[in-house]
Amino acid sequence: MSGRFREGSLSARFGRQFVTLVLALTLFFLAVPVVMTFVSSFASDWFGVFPTGFVTLGNWEDVIVGTGVGADVSVGSSLAYSTGLALGGVVINLIVGVPIAYAVARYEFWGRDWVNVFAILPLAPGIILGVAFLRTYPDLSTSGIALIIGYSLLKAPYMVMAVQSSFQSMDLQQIEESARSLGASWPRTFLTVIVPNARTGIIAGSIISWTLAAAEFNFSYIVYSRGTPPLAIFLFNNITNASFLNAAAAVSVFFLLIALVTIALQIIGNRGAVRRI
Amino acid sequence: MSEVSLERVTKRFDSTVAVNDVSIDIDDGEVMGIVGPSGCGKTTALRLVAGFETPTDGTIRYDGDDVTHVPPENRNVGLVFQSYALFNNMSVLKNVTFGPKMHGVGKEERRERAHELLELLDIEELADRNPKTLSGGQQQRVGLARALAIEPHILLLDEPMTGLDAKLKQTLRQELGQLLDDLGVTTLYVTHDQEQAMSMCDRIAVMNEGHLEQIGTPAEIYEEPANEFVAGFIGTANLLDGTVRDGTLSLGFEDVDTPEAVASNGAVTVLVRPDDIPVGSGPIDVEVTNLFYQGEHIQATGELPDGRELTLRLDRSETAVGIGDTISIDFDPESLHIIESTR
Amino acid sequence: MAADQVSTGTRAVESVRTTVGSLVSPASERQREIRRIVALCLPFSVLLLFSGVFPLTEMFRISFSESRLVTEGFTVEYYRAMVTDPYYRNIAFNTLWFAAATTVTSIAVAVPVAHALEKYALPAKSVILTVLSFPNSLPGIVAAFMIIILFGNTGILSNVFAFLSGQSRIDVAIATSVGGLFFAYIYSMIPRALLLLRGTYAEVNTDAEEAARVLGATPLQTFRYVTLPQIKPGLIGASILVFRTGLAIFGTVLILKGLLVWTLQIDRELAQGFNIAQASAMATVWFVFVFGFTVLMLRYTSAEVSI
Repeated sequence: MSGRFREGSLSARFGRQFVTLVLALTLFFLAVPVVMTFVSSFASDWFGVFPTGFVTLGNWEDVIVGTGVGADVSVGSSLAYSTGLALGGVVINLIVGVPIAYAVARYEFWGRDWVNVFAILPLAPGIILGVAFLRTYPDLSTSGIALIIGYSLLKAPYMVMAVQSSFQSMDLQQIEESARSLGASWPRTFLTVIVPNARTGIIAGSIISWTLAAAEFNFSYIVYSRGTPPLAIFLFNNITNASFLNAAAAVSVFFLLIALVTIALQIIGNRGAVRRI
Repeated sequence: MSEVSLERVTKRFDSTVAVNDVSIDIDDGEVMGIVGPSGCGKTTALRLVAGFETPTDGTIRYDGDDVTHVPPENRNVGLVFQSYALFNNMSVLKNVTFGPKMHGVGKEERRERAHELLELLDIEELADRNPKTLSGGQQQRVGLARALAIEPHILLLDEPMTGLDAKLKQTLRQELGQLLDDLGVTTLYVTHDQEQAMSMCDRIAVMNEGHLEQIGTPAEIYEEPANEFVAGFIGTANLLDGTVRDGTLSLGFEDVDTPEAVASNGAVTVLVRPDDIPVGSGPIDVEVTNLFYQGEHIQATGELPDGRELTLRLDRSETAVGIGDTISIDFDPESLHIIESTR
Repeated sequence: MAADQVSTGTRAVESVRTTVGSLVSPASERQREIRRIVALCLPFSVLLLFSGVFPLTEMFRISFSESRLVTEGFTVEYYRAMVTDPYYRNIAFNTLWFAAATTVTSIAVAVPVAHALEKYALPAKSVILTVLSFPNSLPGIVAAFMIIILFGNTGILSNVFAFLSGQSRIDVAIATSVGGLFFAYIYSMIPRALLLLRGTYAEVNTDAEEAARVLGATPLQTFRYVTLPQIKPGLIGASILVFRTGLAIFGTVLILKGLLVWTLQIDRELAQGFNIAQASAMATVWFVFVFGFTVLMLRYTSAEVSI
């Protein structure tokens, strides 16, 4: 190399290494505890540097069957209960989320930007909404209805966004106008043309808002009073009361659930939605 | 300004070879064009010269110095993008002074240099505007001023006319050609538009599928294409199969004297440009199958006696010719070009 | 003057009447369109009203109540406590600096990571993306557990630090300290910040970056003069949202303790004697602060928000 051409600057020579190092450390920080949790859930103890006593299913058995102490119920009943509650939330989300996503994506109207902000920004986080519910609907908290409507408000933004991303790839005005010029009424156009066209977004939004509702801890913790604990409360009980490795198994159950959901989303092929979880 | 050369440069991306063993020497002050269809590797070649890609094989030299591994910011090249890529967060003047600033030129001097360039390009009144508010033609000039402000070894133009309307293209082509001449700056001009390249470049390199097909002056490329690809890509071409035997070229329906020295007897491909075929009288009858009115002239498709198609160029005055008519043509042996290589 | 007012009044009534009338029996396509927009927004508005606005209003009302369990009378006692009692002021201070510090850290980490994802050819990119987005679906309590795995008494990094420093690993375990909580916060916040920044990064004009390079800018100068101005709106938007996330964290801090923040104190008001009025007052302050902060930031910065 001739002297006329200066050697690269510091950032030209080491910038890339530095950025890659940050990426590697971040990946380590995020992934290693997840992997270790899963691995250690099959160990019989972890007192030394590494968990030992592989492979045992004892921890999983305690979580799945229930021990009668600490985490006193089995994961099955919590999972079933949360599944139901979260499904209820998803149904409400579908009814409220799809129409408003369409309104914002398709029409120009006064205050549209603010409507959009309200639809995609959670109004209040779980704990604040929990306090408000505790005060306003104290009788509903034992029946689970409070949880359902709370979940639906908390997770509505995810539904709206997933559906919006589907709408954005469609020329809504042309689709709507061609259906209507062919003689379909507007409600019919909406239900039979627009909604089916956005189904990937709708399915993805449903899966995402379901998962996040099942995983919602803050709201559930404040509002839940007695009866079968929702999944997040079950996890909390395990983390705080059960043995360390039992907790690892309980958290691993949750990881499996998320993994299943991620795979489901990838099958739908909506990568954009996967990114959004 | 300086000479720039690519020596046996190859660039592979995973399994595809974008540039395959290409050598191009650009002389001091020369305007070199690289043309070819999209995906032929011309943009990769430009990015190799700029330093955004490092060759898998081969060497890139500026004035004989090996710059193959020098990062782009240390190469001192002026690059004008297809999208112009102006910095929208800076005024036009700031855009132009950015390069000198990065090169450590003092504030006064770089402002002076920028104003000179803006004046030269006749856009001085735009100095304080935001590039977002400019028209396509104005943006292009700013991009050019910005690239020239660092007094580059070489100016690289990447499809700079795309996205402009036809009329503006025409004007800018003339202006840009004049400017490059005046400045005497070594230039590499990459475009898929062969007409632009022909009118602006001193020499043209034709690329296809990563290979360099031919390099030469516009006239050489047009008159004596090295192979069928070049013949077909540059201008409109009639390619006819023929046979050479002892100084006579047989086209199947017509025998003529072999127009140029041919090494051996056998099958050849013959190029004849439509504008080299005299229409009106001659021994060959052609049935007109299609007509395309093109304003300055009329392009016609005709069928030769043996059924092969031929593109012809009719004078604008010959509006009497209709589809289905038969017209007579002649072949001038001088205007026939035999392509030996059929790579 | 008075006549003018009357006519303005009648005109207003008239315009309301025509608006309502056009919703019931629209005549023009524009009126039909407005009816559709209203119909489309209605379900969400109902949900927002019953599960958002109404509960929050009730919460607001009881925060001024003289009685602890039912809304009765009017007092600003709970708010006065928050302003005058150093205990609450200290909590507010903790909450704000901690959320701000974790936000800055998360953004500082997310920018280079988003850069690498966008610009570099990385092996196994889909695996990397999965790892980076996975924590977004984890509740805070699980993030806390992850920190226990890393920095707890038998934690992986505790072992490493113990080995390096020669101390007992119990002494270097920081999971339940402020430091541990810091890492737990950024465990949730980095993936969130990344989600927002990746969208921003995808829109960066790479030609402009290359233009800067050939004009002689080093990669760092290119980032400073060309990339940064382009991602600035996204950066501000991401900071706002990540900061909000940081203020709302509760489950994580419930497990790790580490620092007494606003949300944890809200829970303590409820857990220790069910002081719902004080909890509501605190929740109201939280809500008003974050709502006002968000509106102001969206209004007066170039922030782009897309969650």
